[in-house]
Amino acid sequence: MRPFYGALACAGAMLLTGLSPVQAATEIEFWHAMSGALGERVEELVKKFNDSQKEYVVKAIGKGTYDEVLNGTIAAYRAKRQPEIVQSNERSFLTMVNSGAIVSTTELMAEQGHPIDASKFIAPVVSYYAIDGKLQAMPFNSSTPILFYNRDHFKAAGFDKPGTTWQELEPQLDAIKAKGVSKCAMVLPGDYEWSFLENYSAVNDIPYATKRNGMDGLDTSFVFNKGKLVGQVERMKRLVSSGVMQLAGQGIIPIQLFTSGECSTIIASTASHAAVVAAAKFDWSAAELPYEQGVTPKNSVIGGAALWTLKGHTPEKYKAVAAFYDFLAKTDTQVWWHQATGYVPVTTAAYEAAKAQGYYQKNPTREIAVVQLMRGTPSDNSLGFRIGNSNQINVAIMEEVSGAFLGKKPVQQALDDAVARGNEALRRYEQLNAGKK
Amino acid sequence: MPARNSTAALPVAAGGGGLRLRWPLRRLFVKGTGDAQSESGLKRAHFREWRLPFWLLAPQLFILLLFFFIPSIRALIQAFQLTDPFGATIQWVGFQNFERLFRSSVYWSSAQVTLIFTIAQNVLTLSLALLLAFASNHILRGRGAYRTVLLLPYAIAPAIAGIMLAFLFNPRVGPVAHILQGLGFDWDPNRNSWHALVLIVMAASWKHICYNYIFLVAALMSVPQSILESAYLDGAGPIQRFLRISLPMITPTLFFLIVINFVYGLFETFAIVDATTRGGPAGATSILVYKVYLDGFVTLDLGSSAAQSVVLMVLALLLTFAQFRFVERRVNYSV
Repeated sequence: MRPFYGALACAGAMLLTGLSPVQAATEIEFWHAMSGALGERVEELVKKFNDSQKEYVVKAIGKGTYDEVLNGTIAAYRAKRQPEIVQSNERSFLTMVNSGAIVSTTELMAEQGHPIDASKFIAPVVSYYAIDGKLQAMPFNSSTPILFYNRDHFKAAGFDKPGTTWQELEPQLDAIKAKGVSKCAMVLPGDYEWSFLENYSAVNDIPYATKRNGMDGLDTSFVFNKGKLVGQVERMKRLVSSGVMQLAGQGIIPIQLFTSGECSTIIASTASHAAVVAAAKFDWSAAELPYEQGVTPKNSVIGGAALWTLKGHTPEKYKAVAAFYDFLAKTDTQVWWHQATGYVPVTTAAYEAAKAQGYYQKNPTREIAVVQLMRGTPSDNSLGFRIGNSNQINVAIMEEVSGAFLGKKPVQQALDDAVARGNEALRRYEQLNAGKK
Repeated sequence: MPARNSTAALPVAAGGGGLRLRWPLRRLFVKGTGDAQSESGLKRAHFREWRLPFWLLAPQLFILLLFFFIPSIRALIQAFQLTDPFGATIQWVGFQNFERLFRSSVYWSSAQVTLIFTIAQNVLTLSLALLLAFASNHILRGRGAYRTVLLLPYAIAPAIAGIMLAFLFNPRVGPVAHILQGLGFDWDPNRNSWHALVLIVMAASWKHICYNYIFLVAALMSVPQSILESAYLDGAGPIQRFLRISLPMITPTLFFLIVINFVYGLFETFAIVDATTRGGPAGATSILVYKVYLDGFVTLDLGSSAAQSVVLMVLALLLTFAQFRFVERRVNYSV
């Protein structure tokens, strides 16, 4: 249906403008996964670009969730109707790089005369999206998990603020529940695999997978079934079974249980700022991710998504893509996007600019994610993750770990099974992509 | 049905062997018997040349080709491949996908869940529909209104039904869940696999009771009034009449519905599961057809997803065969 309507719209547009001598602007499509308030911000962003010049028009089209966008892109690519730009989440990195369907951003920008310097982006972003210093995708909406908390609840339970380590935070959560301040001291986020496991291993500097979490090759294997991570899952299980940490379940989104004032804390992406600011009618604040006592915390890792350029379009279209990316990388654009959405500024210059404006004095929680991402020197365990078949593995790990929460199997057994299932998917990825990076 | 008519038909029904069951729906819409016409019915019709029938069939065949044959063949091919989602790299791997599937404990537990789910759904749907059909058959005033109300859920989209139930039974915010918790029952489908399973069984049954109901009402109506009346004269109460006469006489319809319910439970409950539990918690409600979707569209494991759909296809063929072989024989379709 869509091409048909498209053709109809084109025909209509040609009828209307056919006689005018002005040359039509080059139009490119940008498929994204932002919905709600964030979707509106994307529309605004695109409008800003379209208004800023006359040669190119970017058309932003929301295509559902990240999974749905990726699926739509695959179907479109196979039918040779792919858009020029597609937004895909960080864990799809290898899927996109090895798809044979993308144009590397560094190469595109160099060809189109807008050379892009990877080093102007913040380190955790570059380490995720660049191979040998070459950006494969255009960093766009980057986030990292932080701890949002209900200050009223903490005060009522007799605390100033949440503790910085799990050893301090856990008794506080127990107390909030025990003192009857709230029936739900914490709500488990839907993406806990990212916020509670991957980021936990980065911050506490423990290996998640061999070969620097996959950065050094496809022959990586998971090793998260030993050491501190087992303790972390045991802790989550204890919190869940004692009812201190609640599961939102179907029908509602975890962040809603925080913003409605029902749950006292949530570990969620910094991009949740948009939802919290809009809906929370209590005194809230945020803090850095808790870590293990005695550890010097490392940087956390990014989530969110990047923009990928797809193959198979004319040079004029790529010119438009490059102009759009160039606009995105501008400090002004970055500062606006950061403040409008809650995502982190992806360039160092944008962070400095926001700081110089005094933005963080007024909005201290907006700086938490940036500081957390940039603290210390990234270690081998906090560079990021380069995992093939990541969607499969993600589902398998979540299934096993929630199995442990339900008491289906002991934590150690669940993690062993998760590692086994994950490694099987990794080996299959290696088999299919032999000889690739 | 008015009682007067059937008393008049009593000698005919008893003597002429007119007890055979008719295609139940027809009784709903067509009044009076059409036996005379049926002799010169569909089987006698034939066409002199091939063009007209071809064009009459073509639209249906085209739809079948587009939505059934081409996808099935592609699934069959893909089941033997390992492929990158974008189709950049394709490797032929023989039976590797099937091997992996049958070795996977997750798949077997999904099969087990499916079995429990379809049977529970079948029993619940059929018994409730039977109860409702029996009851509404005995109501004289406002029978039409009851029937309409009972048929309404069928018009509700599965996704909406699922979301609604998920919300009503959500342990944090759902009103029904709060009632259950108020009664001292620790209801939590997010942490208890059985609760989640109960939830999807309820959702699936609620959607499908109407379908069962309409067939059962029609079947009950086709039970000859004369026999029921003679039983009545012999002193049998309504429940006895139902159990001893109506029920045995509608067994073909029951068989038919059991098969249909299995097919429904196995292949058509994807939307309900997706909206109610998303296969969770921890795969506790991940029935086979949901897993095909999950592995194909969420995790992009196309080979495994294709292998799973081939397995389901074989299962569907077996069920269809069973239906034709054992059930159709007992249901008389002649009109």
